[in-house]
Amino acid sequence: MKLTLATVRAVLWRSALFAVLWWALTDGRPDSWGVGSVSVAFATTVSIYLLPPVNTYVSRIGLLRFLVFFIVQSLRGGAQVAGFALRPRMGLRPGFHEIDLRLPEGIGRVLLANTLSLLPGTLSVELQGNRLCLHVLDERAPTETEVRAAESRLADLLGLTLHTTG
Amino acid sequence: MSLVEGASLALLIAGAAFFFAGTVGLLRFPDVYTRLHALAKADNLGLGLVVLGLLLRAPGWATGIKLVLIWLLALLASATVGFLIARRARRHGIAPWRAGDRE
Repeated sequence: MKLTLATVRAVLWRSALFAVLWWALTDGRPDSWGVGSVSVAFATTVSIYLLPPVNTYVSRIGLLRFLVFFIVQSLRGGAQVAGFALRPRMGLRPGFHEIDLRLPEGIGRVLLANTLSLLPGTLSVELQGNRLCLHVLDERAPTETEVRAAESRLADLLGLTLHTTG
Repeated sequence: MSLVEGASLALLIAGAAFFFAGTVGLLRFPDVYTRLHALAKADNLGLGLVVLGLLLRAPGWATGIKLVLIWLLALLASATVGFLIARRARRHGIAPWRAGDRE
């Protein structure tokens, strides 16, 4: 692995993150840092190999906007499922819905599939190439619009450009 | 009861309500896919609200970070496991329940 600026930056950020995690998990006990420093170094090394650093920045405004979007949508999703579950006649109109993703290959698509499972009315079922199969609770809902919104937010967050699909 | 304690109590009760609704959904929904929806969404929101409620009572930062970590791990696990179960079901040819079938 070449020692680039991105790698150095990632090592610093990730070891700081793992150090905070260790501190939290041990309630800040000072005598735990012998094992702790080894664990932090090991975790950082493994993480660099499993998820190599990339040259893009995670945009802070993108992160904030994504978090707000995610929280609002989670509330809607939970409320929708609760509504269906507690109504005497549930009124579900489920079905599969396939959609071509505009995100490039990689972590973005996996994150999108996972995010959609937590958002209102959609559950990721299969991801092959750029084709994502969703299960939807209500076929009449504007699934396409919802997926595109989530996709754009994720692209903003990760600094990715979206492909246009025909 | 202080304002913080009251807010904490309200969040905990709201969280429990979503857990309850998610469980009712798990029992009432007609097939594996719709049941996964109930688990993934209502329970995550329920856990999120419970974690928020407990954060207001957390004695320190270490406990707070642990609580948030629990929520993040549960979100990740729930989205991943839900995806894997749904994919397996579809590959086995389990057709989704359609409106008009018996509930």
